[in-house]
Amino acid sequence: MYTISHILSHSPVTTVTALAEQVLQHYPADAVTIISGPRVAMVQLRMQESVANSVFNAGEILVTETRLELNGTFGFGMIIGNDPTFATALAVIDAALRLPGAPHADLHTTINDLGDQLRTNQQRQFAAANSTKVEFDVF
Amino acid sequence: MGYIAARGGTTAIINAEQLVEYLRLQGGSTPLELIQIRDQLRHAVGRAMNEGALYAPMLAALAVKQAEGDSIEASFLLRAYRSTLSRIMPTLPISGEAMRCMRRISASFKDIPGGQMLGPSQDYQIRLLNNLIASETAESVTAVLAAYEQLVDAGMSADGAIGHFPKVADYMRQQQMIAPLPAEPDTSEPYDITRTAISFPCPRSARLQSLSQGDTGCLLTYAYSSVRGYGDAHPTLAELRFGYLPIQVAHPLTGEAITIGEISATECEIVSKAHSVAAKQSTPRFNLGYGFTFGHGEVKAISMAILDSVLTQAKAKGLSGESGPAANEEFVLLHSDGIEASGFTAHYKLPHYVTFEADLKVLDRAREHTTTQSQSRLQEIATRTQEASA
Repeated sequence: MYTISHILSHSPVTTVTALAEQVLQHYPADAVTIISGPRVAMVQLRMQESVANSVFNAGEILVTETRLELNGTFGFGMIIGNDPTFATALAVIDAALRLPGAPHADLHTTINDLGDQLRTNQQRQFAAANSTKVEFDVF
Repeated sequence: MGYIAARGGTTAIINAEQLVEYLRLQGGSTPLELIQIRDQLRHAVGRAMNEGALYAPMLAALAVKQAEGDSIEASFLLRAYRSTLSRIMPTLPISGEAMRCMRRISASFKDIPGGQMLGPSQDYQIRLLNNLIASETAESVTAVLAAYEQLVDAGMSADGAIGHFPKVADYMRQQQMIAPLPAEPDTSEPYDITRTAISFPCPRSARLQSLSQGDTGCLLTYAYSSVRGYGDAHPTLAELRFGYLPIQVAHPLTGEAITIGEISATECEIVSKAHSVAAKQSTPRFNLGYGFTFGHGEVKAISMAILDSVLTQAKAKGLSGESGPAANEEFVLLHSDGIEASGFTAHYKLPHYVTFEADLKVLDRAREHTTTQSQSRLQEIATRTQEASA
């Protein structure tokens, strides 16, 4: 079962942007206040290694981050890569889904559909790799 | 010839930069698009990312293009760009077990839980140049994409799997072949060599961070030296996996885990021989070494895991026989950063007129000293000869 952020971060930017636009059409332009960003920055990858179960810094990952408020509700969007539109769309959806009274509960249907598409795509990708599974002959 | 300090050369430098661009484009070929480099030179892009310690495929493609394929220069460009960015936060710790595997093999056991999956690998091909790639057409590309559909059909499983597998190391632990994990996980803040210069003895987290951004060729050389005879490494590949790791950060308001996408990565575990256990009084077990890189970097991940294993054993005084340079943690970690090493070596191309003038003065003094000594010896011989004649 994928989480909402997992589904959205793996979905096409055009689809996620369309979802955010769908939310924004219910609000006037001044309902959105940008707190910071969109900005390109880094997050530091923390890997948990398998020898001593310890954590180490394995390098930086380029991300784009946006923080905003939608009708006074905080929204956070972060995506790997340089994509201000994607990060802002994620922040809008994040805020929309935590607005009091759940006015955008209808988004869940679309997000669930995106999740189904994601699972199908990942199953297909794995299937191609799985075709290289070795069947050993034992002499 | 006089040797003097000098400054200048601005026009020459600007012209040199223009000449580089001219040489790149003089043949009239179509300029490479970054997306072509990202997709079709993925190993070059991966190497630039893991040695530059910045996961950014499109920027790495730009770096590869700008460096005209020079891997160290490309990683240098990325590392320099990294210094211009702010770091927002660390990710939540992620284990390789979360990887959506595209390739997963073991040389330790034939039957590993989940099976062996070769994935996208050239390991099993004969190393012959493929002229068909030199003359690819739209039709041949279409044929390759159509063949992919056949692979999907051939490998589709009914259980809806997407490539998650248990770790071979966990199986070995269950069988008590390798040391158990610590009862309490190490929750201390990992060392960050980008903020604090590494000093020795260093914690494990500093070693792994340093190796993971090390130069592939250098790690390979050190690991190979230890395996070949200038060391005590006898590695066996427990598991090598390549695939996609989901990355999560903590939501700044709620603290819940937020997925921000996935990265391609390679992870490796190496086991080494049984007598090399840290605590001699405990049950003999294999030693385990760990390797990780951004992108698809199998040789680097294996080399890193071998070195991790060797350095752990050396620290625990568990090596027998020749330890070799690869067992010296300070030597390995301080000389394996390709950017530092190439930067230091390349600086010899810069003017050293003042330094060399000082060297010349030393040389002159040495010559004067030698001449004086020689003359005094000759004078001594002449004096003795005159005395003998008298």
